[in-house]
Amino acid sequence: MTLTCIMLALLFAGGLAWRAENHWQGSAKWLALIALALLATVFAVFVMSASNDFAQLQVLSRVSWIESFNIEYSIALDQLSIVLIALTWLLAIICVLVSWHEIQSNVGFYYFNLLLTIAGIIGVFVAVDMFLFFFFWEVMLLPMTAIIAIWGHENRQFAALKFFIFTQVSSLLMLVAIIGTGYFHLMQTGQLSFYYPDWLLLDIPLSISQYLMFGFFIAFAVKLPSVPVHSWLPDAHTQAPTAGSVLLAGVLLKTGAYGLIRFVIFLFPQASLQFAPIAATLGVVSIIYGAKMAFAQQDFKRLVAYSSISHMGFVMLALFTFNSTAYQGAIVTLVAHGLSSAALFALAGMIYQRIHSRNLTDMGGFWHSAPRMGGFALAFAGAAFGLPGLANFIGEFFSLVGAFQVMPAFTIIAALGLIGSAIYGMVLFQTSFQGAAKQEIIDLQLRELLICGSLLLMLLAIGLYPTLLLKFSFGV
Amino acid sequence: MAIASNTQALFTMSMVAAILPQLIVAFGATLALLLVAWRRSQRTIAIFTSVVLGMSLLVNMRLLTMPAMQVTQLLKVDGYSSFAFSLILISALVALRMSHSFLKAHTEVHDEYYLLLLLMVLGGGVLVTSDHYASLFLGFELLSISLVGLVGYHRESVYSVESGFKYLILSATASSFMLLGIAFIYSVTGNMSFSAAIPNVIYHQQGLGVFFQLGLLLFVSGIVFKLSIAPFHFWTPDVYQGSPTPVTMLMATVSKVAMFVVLLKCIVAQRYLLLENFQLFLLSFAIISMLLGNVMALKQQHLKRLLAYSSIAHMGYLLIVIIVASAQGLAFTWQSTLFYLAAYTVANLSIFMVIALLQLQRNNGLYQEDITRDDLHGLFWRTPSYALLMILGLLSLAGIPLTMGFIGKFYILTQATLAHAWWLIATLIVGSGIALGYYLPLIFKMFEGRSKASDKTKATLGPKVGRRIDKLLVYSFILLGLVLGILPDIINQFIG
Repeated sequence: MTLTCIMLALLFAGGLAWRAENHWQGSAKWLALIALALLATVFAVFVMSASNDFAQLQVLSRVSWIESFNIEYSIALDQLSIVLIALTWLLAIICVLVSWHEIQSNVGFYYFNLLLTIAGIIGVFVAVDMFLFFFFWEVMLLPMTAIIAIWGHENRQFAALKFFIFTQVSSLLMLVAIIGTGYFHLMQTGQLSFYYPDWLLLDIPLSISQYLMFGFFIAFAVKLPSVPVHSWLPDAHTQAPTAGSVLLAGVLLKTGAYGLIRFVIFLFPQASLQFAPIAATLGVVSIIYGAKMAFAQQDFKRLVAYSSISHMGFVMLALFTFNSTAYQGAIVTLVAHGLSSAALFALAGMIYQRIHSRNLTDMGGFWHSAPRMGGFALAFAGAAFGLPGLANFIGEFFSLVGAFQVMPAFTIIAALGLIGSAIYGMVLFQTSFQGAAKQEIIDLQLRELLICGSLLLMLLAIGLYPTLLLKFSFGV
Repeated sequence: MAIASNTQALFTMSMVAAILPQLIVAFGATLALLLVAWRRSQRTIAIFTSVVLGMSLLVNMRLLTMPAMQVTQLLKVDGYSSFAFSLILISALVALRMSHSFLKAHTEVHDEYYLLLLLMVLGGGVLVTSDHYASLFLGFELLSISLVGLVGYHRESVYSVESGFKYLILSATASSFMLLGIAFIYSVTGNMSFSAAIPNVIYHQQGLGVFFQLGLLLFVSGIVFKLSIAPFHFWTPDVYQGSPTPVTMLMATVSKVAMFVVLLKCIVAQRYLLLENFQLFLLSFAIISMLLGNVMALKQQHLKRLLAYSSIAHMGYLLIVIIVASAQGLAFTWQSTLFYLAAYTVANLSIFMVIALLQLQRNNGLYQEDITRDDLHGLFWRTPSYALLMILGLLSLAGIPLTMGFIGKFYILTQATLAHAWWLIATLIVGSGIALGYYLPLIFKMFEGRSKASDKTKATLGPKVGRRIDKLLVYSFILLGLVLGILPDIINQFIG
């Protein structure tokens, strides 16, 4: 009930911000910020005060929705979704802060879309009726596309279109798989059901489940993204406004990983096991390919985008080794990548505001005029290539250690990706902050310090004290 | 001596009650003729027509939950036909409102227009209830001929003659094909009623002969011509573009709903699907339509042409339901079809309503014939309500959640999945992927530019009351689209 109210409140706050901006200029961002902070607190209090520890999926409400298909409005929480929702709240607030001065046109409508996206993402993480899940999956897509298409950079419409078509076509495959599984439930138990806990009880023969799993897998692999269905991501990230990139890299990619965990691996364990060599290969290829492409980029945001593909490759590899250490590593990587890539995109946005370019050749020697920004950039680049002491190291280390026990050959090749990430991380930092000063820029201001500082703090906290996340079992 | 030797009367009061909505429209058409003779006034006849349609709709609503009833040999009224007729009446009412403001923009009194509209609705009403090839043909012709009149109605338009003739000639050809087909079928089966059972043996031996198969093909080609299914679609873009927008609206809704319902009725009742050749035909029609319609729409600049191609694709999607229909899941087939048609109707009404309103909404007060993609530029910032309605309609056609179109697509995918029709599903997915390539740019176009408070243009034409009605219609369709998209059970209870 509380969660439903939170989602509705986000929707309402968005509408309010939209209307309010027409009357009082500059009110939308404050409204959005206050609403997010307030609702995040409500969520935290709700989770803290709950009597159980959410180690297992805890169904919070079940209401009948579309009776002709026995579709329900049912939502649930467990540790995995709580961690990802917490990440969403943090990044949502960061998003509002980074768009503070960046968004100048149609401000009210922008915050409406932003809050709607957040509501949709939270919906994705809590829905346990598959139809409802699909519903949220698409609903979060619409405002996100609008954010890219309306407030993005020069080639925004093309990027938004590509993003939407990739996701939509792949999710139609998932819809077919959802329908297929629902009707398999009908065949086996005599009742049509799209309820996830019901599905967990199903015993689907491998000959059928491999196809069903594949339908889900495609949709999530596109979202993750994994080679060869990644090509929407560099465009979407590059063209989106800063907050759009932060949200895309920080949370939207995580919905893909979340889907892989919950609806591929837990739902179709046998089929996933059979599919694991292919998935792991895709993961390894993504790691190497992403890293290779990243250090060939001239565009700051494109570089970070390709690095995301590389990092998500680790997640894919770790998940499909079915090892609990690797699994925990994958989840830490998710959170760590959410924080570090969000930080890098926020930095890109700050630089863009100052020099109106994302091109690395226009940058250089920023350290002289903006040492504080340089310090943060170094730390975030370090996080991206897995510097010990920061969260990403923990994630990648655990992923690789776990994966090595099951698939040593794959892991050895994957570990090469770490070298690649060090190269692009340093390329990124050196070309922008070191060398001869090409331009003088203003150093970070209070709002920007707050953004970078809080993200770095989180990265450090998880990096130095990983038990923060590792103490949870995440349903294994 | 009693004349009625049989115990059952030919025509009872309950039968009258069952076809009362159609009767109201028929009497309305007759009265409208008298009204024209008495007093020629645009206002009077417009109000009169809407009262007739409204009354018919009210009566029809009551019939939705009634049990099926055979009215003579010709007609059969059941929940499905009543639902389809409601769709037709609602479309006609919206089109009426839009035509009213469109006709106002031209001097002259246009009584005939309203008469043709009523006759067309009557044709649709006969079609959806028909249970006999004779009544099918009657409805078909009533609908076609009045539509021909409407298509070429706007004399001053450059397109009028072209589109009117194109539609007249092709439609007449299609009718004659259909008639010949019916004759061939009759020559084999010896019965014109849909409910006449043809023994199983005939199907299983495939022994109906070339005549029957040829007849069936001719008959179906007549109907799919009206549905603008490829390869019988060539008239669609030109006629869609050339007709006055309210007429295009009618063509996209009334004509499609009526034709599709009667096609399904006939095929289901006669079990033609058991014939393998026939399935093959429908299969190729569906696949060609889905791909061709979507691909051709990609580069269209003219909105009505674009929608014409998209309608080809949509009829292709819907044809899937017929192809995969099985004897056990008939109720579900009907449910899917009617829901999809309802979604399609609401979406098309929304989009054409916006197009019609945009045509009137010129700064210099002139009526604008062509609405292209560029006319949508910045619409969301100028008139948000129109843009919202248009976006909802487009998203519904694209089948994105929150809209009825998604539930419709869900129905189709469910049907196809149950029948294991993987090739059709693949084509559907590819088709919808391509379709996003033209729906989304339209939506993006509406968001281009910046919002400026001073830039807001108000609809300049028509009296204040008229503007209010338009506004009310726009808002109610936005609401309708959203509510039915989120709570589809409201519709499901009528067709379940």
